[in-house]
Amino acid sequence: MPRNLRITLAILAVAVLIGLISLRGLQKRIQRLAQTPTTEEQARRDLLKPPISTPTDVVAQIPIFWAAGPDRVAPTQVALPLSADPVKRARQVIDALILQTPSAEQRTLPADATLLAFYILPDGTAIADFSDTLSTGTPSGIMSEQLVVDSIRRTLEKNVSGLRRLKILIHGQEVDTLAGHVDLTGFFDLNSAAGPTVPSTPAQDLPPTSAR
Amino acid sequence: MGQQPGPAPQTPAPSTAPQTSPPQPQAPAVTTPAPPVHVGPTIVIDPAHGGTDNGAQGTSGIVEKDMVLRFARQLRAEFERQGFRVVMTRNDDSNPSYEDRAATANAYRDAIFISLHVASTGKIGTAQTYSYEYPSATALATGSSTPRSLIPWEEAQRPYLETSHRFADLVQMQLGLRFSDSPSVSKPFAVRELRSVAAPAIAVELSSVAVPDANMLFSMGFPLMNALVRSVQLFRPAPAPPGNVPGAAATPAGAK
Repeated sequence: MPRNLRITLAILAVAVLIGLISLRGLQKRIQRLAQTPTTEEQARRDLLKPPISTPTDVVAQIPIFWAAGPDRVAPTQVALPLSADPVKRARQVIDALILQTPSAEQRTLPADATLLAFYILPDGTAIADFSDTLSTGTPSGIMSEQLVVDSIRRTLEKNVSGLRRLKILIHGQEVDTLAGHVDLTGFFDLNSAAGPTVPSTPAQDLPPTSAR
Repeated sequence: MGQQPGPAPQTPAPSTAPQTSPPQPQAPAVTTPAPPVHVGPTIVIDPAHGGTDNGAQGTSGIVEKDMVLRFARQLRAEFERQGFRVVMTRNDDSNPSYEDRAATANAYRDAIFISLHVASTGKIGTAQTYSYEYPSATALATGSSTPRSLIPWEEAQRPYLETSHRFADLVQMQLGLRFSDSPSVSKPFAVRELRSVAAPAIAVELSSVAVPDANMLFSMGFPLMNALVRSVQLFRPAPAPPGNVPGAAATPAGAK
């Protein structure tokens, strides 16, 4: 075999060997990325958001209402450290509603949605201020939007006492609808015997008494 | 319903001219067609979304705003064929505001408002009807002594809640006959379009834009049309007598 050919073959063999080694590394890296499907928004939120924990936290089994079909929600028991402070407690359960969804089929709120602020007024009115993603990430439709409102409403009314009604804001603003259908200009009754998920009167300008 | 009052019999004017020529075969009298006589309530059809608001969008390219407009036109043709006056809140790719849509219906004294939607989710081939409902405990004060003209705009649906719910149940029953697996009763829920409508008002949502083939949704148009027309006929079984056309004087500014 000519010397030049031997050298070429040796160079090619080395190149193939290097390629195989780097391919394996790339494969491992892809696998790692696939195992952590965090979006940019989630990563930012994880970095910036302080964990909600208070000295009064007590671990309790509580019902969180996730989807149990296309048009209804059902409770799933979750062990969660919960604060005695109703505002902090409400934030904890809504965070769990977003972050601890058991499966994709049961998800009601978009994974990227964030509860920006939560207030409780003296008359028992809860005001939940969500990020834009709640609006933009919810599939458009009466049924799908109803599911979002139902899961928030029922999770709050079962886990935070003293709430009478709920107002949902998007990025600090009152909006007409969640994603084109469900009326968000009014209040949703909480802890009502009949429990229809419908808003009542339009929002009034009431000052918050407790925040965040 | 279905029967349209016939036009008044035409009586030819007596001829005074002397007949100078042998009688000829009489030609049919040339008459201008009588204006259509409308029966029953005015049907306000509301194809949801429009313009930049596409509504629900499927992976196969189905867009809610186009689909509901197609259904609405189909529905209008059938209602008109049955003799109803029909008004659409939009008949093109525009997006009237919720208030404009309600105003279109509120311009008629005897309207029935039907909002059409296609969902993103839900079991394919099913339909759900919604009516609006306020919780009475936290309602604004709209006592019986309050003049009707002073009902707040956002409370306009309140006097019609029971009627709307009854109509929604009727529609849902008819839809259930045509779309198996659909729920047997309607749902009360805060559908924004219905809130300010001062008339019986419902929203019908078909499932869904997630169909793999648009023809599957198109095929729902005919049974949807039949169900709604039948429901209106059952809801208002007695046609208004000719000459007593409800809402005849009203002409909405935003009507198309």
